Amino acid sequence: MSNIDRRSLVKGSLAAMMAGAAFSRAAFAQSSEPILLGVSGPLTGPNAQYGTQWKQGFDLALDEILGAGGINGRKLAYSFEDSQSDPRQSVAIAQKFVSDPRIVMELGDFSSPASMAASPIYQRGGLVQFGFTNSHPDFTKGGDFMWSTSVSQADEQPLLASYAVKRLGLKKLAVLHLNTDWGRTSRDYFTKAAKEYGAEIVVTEGYIAEERDFRSTLVRVRDANPDGLILISYYSDGALIARQARQVGLKQVICAASSVYSPKFLELGGEAVEDVHVGTRYFPEDPRPEVQKFIAGFRKKYNGLEPDAFNAYAYDAMNMAAAVVKIGGADRRAIRDAFTKVKDVPSVIFGTATFDVATRRVKGAMNAELVVRKGQFALWDGKPT
Amino acid sequence: MSSWLDYTINGLIVGNVYALVAVGLALIFGVSRLINFAQGSIYLVGAYIGWVAVVQLHTPLPLTIIVVAASAAVVGLIIERFGLRPLQNSVRIAPLLATIGISFVLDQLVMLTFSPNPRALPSQLPDVRFQVGGGTIGPLDLLIAGVGITSALLLFVFLRYSKLGWAVRATAQDRDAAMQMGVDVNRVNQAVFGIAAALGGVSGMLVGMYYNQIDTAMSLQATLKGVVAEVVGGAGNVPGAVVGSLLLGLVESYGVAVFGTSYRNLFAFLLLVVVLVLRPNGLFASARQAPPEPLTGTFIAPSRPVRIPRWALLAATGIFAILPLFPVSFYVLQTFINAWLLGMLALSLTLVAGTIGQVSLGHAALLAIGAYTSALLSLNFSVPVGLAVIGGGLMSAALGTALISPSFRLRGHYVSIATLAIGEIVSLVILNWESVTRGPIGISGIPPLSLFGYELISPTSIYWFSFAVMIVLALLQGRLLGSHLGRSFRAIRDDDIAARAYGLSLNRYKSLAFIFGGFAAGVSGGIAAHLYSYINHETFNTQQSILALTVVILGGLGNVVGAIVGSVALVGLPELFRIAAEYRILIYGIVLLLLVRFRPQGLLGTM
Repeated sequence: MSNIDRRSLVKGSLAAMMAGAAFSRAAFAQSSEPILLGVSGPLTGPNAQYGTQWKQGFDLALDEILGAGGINGRKLAYSFEDSQSDPRQSVAIAQKFVSDPRIVMELGDFSSPASMAASPIYQRGGLVQFGFTNSHPDFTKGGDFMWSTSVSQADEQPLLASYAVKRLGLKKLAVLHLNTDWGRTSRDYFTKAAKEYGAEIVVTEGYIAEERDFRSTLVRVRDANPDGLILISYYSDGALIARQARQVGLKQVICAASSVYSPKFLELGGEAVEDVHVGTRYFPEDPRPEVQKFIAGFRKKYNGLEPDAFNAYAYDAMNMAAAVVKIGGADRRAIRDAFTKVKDVPSVIFGTATFDVATRRVKGAMNAELVVRKGQFALWDGKPT
Repeated sequence: MSSWLDYTINGLIVGNVYALVAVGLALIFGVSRLINFAQGSIYLVGAYIGWVAVVQLHTPLPLTIIVVAASAAVVGLIIERFGLRPLQNSVRIAPLLATIGISFVLDQLVMLTFSPNPRALPSQLPDVRFQVGGGTIGPLDLLIAGVGITSALLLFVFLRYSKLGWAVRATAQDRDAAMQMGVDVNRVNQAVFGIAAALGGVSGMLVGMYYNQIDTAMSLQATLKGVVAEVVGGAGNVPGAVVGSLLLGLVESYGVAVFGTSYRNLFAFLLLVVVLVLRPNGLFASARQAPPEPLTGTFIAPSRPVRIPRWALLAATGIFAILPLFPVSFYVLQTFINAWLLGMLALSLTLVAGTIGQVSLGHAALLAIGAYTSALLSLNFSVPVGLAVIGGGLMSAALGTALISPSFRLRGHYVSIATLAIGEIVSLVILNWESVTRGPIGISGIPPLSLFGYELISPTSIYWFSFAVMIVLALLQGRLLGSHLGRSFRAIRDDDIAARAYGLSLNRYKSLAFIFGGFAAGVSGGIAAHLYSYINHETFNTQQSILALTVVILGGLGNVVGAIVGSVALVGLPELFRIAAEYRILIYGIVLLLLVRFRPQGLLGTM
């Protein structure tokens, strides 16, 4: 890779960068080499599990894209650079991708510090940064090369609040949230929506990602006397909270955000997550064809493994990337413009995804109200638990 | 009122869990005067071996425990034999770095073998719960308490009454004298590492069962909490470690009760700092007890620094100064920018750790203070970026020195642990002080670097800017080391009692070193903030502090050129190994181990 960098690099100005991109277009037209996407994400370090899940989703989508004839006859591929979700490494990766003429757009990074530190480089370098898990409200404000299909929490949380308050009839809520930019933003949107629907938030507790022990937190929750617990958590900490809540004898209804939607949540939570309600974007029996194709494909490719939310985000992101590259070709600016043109891309999360050009995000996430029954996610039948 | 009973019980329960790690750490510290950063990794290995035994081999619980203990002990013996024994005659800080390298290697091996996805580790005990207060406890709580207390008692008896135990204690007191009395020191070390590792492995498995969850990120957290608990109880004091753990659990639990969950770790680390300042030998040290650290500064042994001729330094500076004029990619330039930023941090740390002997493990806090100050100055008060960065440096110098000053009276490892805690405290204050720092949302839209109204946005200009700043700081530091101040610093490091006898005011000189070092680190953080445009409480984390210390030890403590060479090496190596994808951190760990093995005094030697 590095020899290509050196050969093609004209250093200095932005104009020179554009010359590089033009060179790449010319080279692409002749070659049958794959169209290359850059992925910056964690493969090692504390978030490594998410990078692994991305890969599974990407690979499935790429198989399908190749099976359908590729992009105008050419193969789509990605180059995954491990950033450990560390801003110091993601900025270096950003420079690497920007100066590699074969890369036509970039996907990632995972955490906000790593992603948003790299944004200025992608913006100035004129390479699209497609952050498909970046829910930070300021991510797409980094510039017109920042696009995101991450479900906006302004969209998702009112759905969860509606499930908890309107459908389950909870009136006094305890909100436990990951104290990260995602968890905090989500909590604010959730609280706002829940209050509008007429519920009262009796206690909110933010916890750090490494936390394992929630017993004392749960005493606080108990003393606030809620009738429901809201978990704005990932699956591993969500499962821990549910287990410990049941162990200390809290019997309230638990309602969790879609990020716990993973077979791991069931495995890690065991009996404790029985009857936990989860607001998700899709579910296994969902009749939508894109969901059925995704789930069947995933089970087949990964020996019966059930996909989770992060697999679905990555799968959708790769399909979106394919749709965009189909319109924009292998030109970086044309790809940026293609994001404004692309319409109704089939999506597990959104049904069909179309960008709102003003916010550079996608609106209108699908909604499914699930509950864990007999160790499986099932569509909620409306019966109280 | 009944809630307080519940908080107390919960605190004891989680303290129980910390005790398992703390006892192993205390045992090793007691003998080798070494904070074993690999203890958390052994705990991780134990958890995964337990998973294999329970889920794949369906072993019953007693057999599982035996299998885990035996395999973890073997890992411990291997670490002792091949990782640490070759270093026993080198500088005392070399084994510390070696355990960091070993923990990288072990964590990565586990991750590569088992994938980073968390796994469920089902408990093999019956699922009955006993009502205690408002909550319940299960049989696993009792088993964990039993293992913790029994092992602490057994170890206590073993150390007090058995012959090998006497040998262990004799070795702990004076290795050379023990050897002269015919104690086989290596056998003692082997025994200690084997026992500690077996305990570490079993505790990882039990904690995994307790939470029904194991993942590869559990290792660092376990080490951090274990170290806190161990030091609170008195480093090297095995029963003290158990009490320290319970106390830590209680303080955390009451902290949650009074202030809320996000303040939890703040209380853990505040407890540590308070204990260290008031009773540096731990809560249970008797007043007459000799300090566990040696009186003179053998922590950092002198070595002959590599002399680099002036023309070579000038040539190297010249080459790096004109590097952007050659056809190198922006990626290479960005990598060097990262190296120069880390270089400024390393200059700061090599001064306080190497020259004056205060080995700081919380240096990322200085970065964070500089970064937030500079970002907020430029965003909220429209201060020009150039000035804001200097403001970040000044704030970091002032606030950093003030925060660290309580630990000035500490020595050796205790300084490291106090600074580790201060680093965590700064990060948690940033997380919780939302009105100023915007908490977890972080600060976005930080303006790019600019100088006299010109924006520095191309990698080339940022390269030159950061390189120039680093060179200026390095020259200043070189000048400082050559002056009477530098001599006083080194005198304090080498023998603080002699230095005091000569009339040097220790606190004043330590403050001076931290003021200078704080400025360099703060400037580095400030530049990083403007480079990234977004920062939050996770941007400058513990890993950064550990990385900085690794750089400094690798380059040679107190060695200005060494700090820069080390930065280039440790930023560059993981980038060079990119081709190895998931394996790169493993390779990095192995390279680090080899460097420690063959150059324990650092590449360029201690100054």
